[in-house]
Amino acid sequence: MRVEYINPFVEAAYNVIQEVLQSDIVRKDLYLKKTSHPVLGVAAMVGLAGDVEGRVLIDMSQETALHIASTMNNEELTEMDELAKATIMEMANMITAQAVTKLFDLGFKFDLTPPSLITGSNMQVSNANEVEALIVPLETPQGLVEINVAVRERM
Amino acid sequence: MKATSDFPNINERKLDGLRENGEPYRVLVVDDSIFVTKQIGQILKSEGFEVIATASDGLEGVEKYKELSPNVDLVTMDITMPRMDGVTALEKIIEFDKDAKVVMISALGKQDLVKKSLLLGAKNYIVKPLDRKKVLERVVTVLKS
Repeated sequence: MRVEYINPFVEAAYNVIQEVLQSDIVRKDLYLKKTSHPVLGVAAMVGLAGDVEGRVLIDMSQETALHIASTMNNEELTEMDELAKATIMEMANMITAQAVTKLFDLGFKFDLTPPSLITGSNMQVSNANEVEALIVPLETPQGLVEINVAVRERM
Repeated sequence: MKATSDFPNINERKLDGLRENGEPYRVLVVDDSIFVTKQIGQILKSEGFEVIATASDGLEGVEKYKELSPNVDLVTMDITMPRMDGVTALEKIIEFDKDAKVVMISALGKQDLVKKSLLLGAKNYIVKPLDRKKVLERVVTVLKS
């Protein structure tokens, strides 16, 4: 997978998370997963279909999701209730909207699915044959958020 | 020591959400995300505005506008929503009340829809992520125009 597909998502995530949390975040080294790999506990997923196809996961532990949702709402949230879920989905919406704007400017054309939120423990994600996932961890004061992109050019 | 001038009373400032007569401006918030609805509500209420109703899609937004008219001073309208999108809902509201004051709430990357909305009669727009200053600035500009 070409890195140019993941960069807009990482940049957008970096900008949006920094803005909504009002704090500094640190971008860690990118890594690659070819096979099934675990997801952290709360994952917002957006599908892409068009010139490029695949999916983007914005993945974090439940603890991190609650810290982020609490910060964004200015109040302590202690469970993944409707408000906490809507907050994480909204964050995913803002990230994908910003990334897609950049990809459109680069000339890629595709549609997006509305985000879905997946929560649970001990989960794994598997990708279609020969689609590897590129993962960029972002360290925030609220915990680790992983931007996990698995897309390919349509054949 | 002039303690009073060192610590001016913040209550002396008139809240942006109140009219000259002290009555609040009434706002209808249309958005499918309860997070965004709550966020807009908190920002507006902190300045004295009254959120007269909320709606979670365009269709409900149009219905509530008609039901509450003429007691809605301003509508905040999300663009991407289920059942009926914000641009269609804007069109229906303007059809019903050509003087309606509607402010579009948009994610980045929806410039074409924002442009279309402004041509259809939306008075202004706000791009997410929302912050207090941005929201109040746009809403007040529209109400004072």
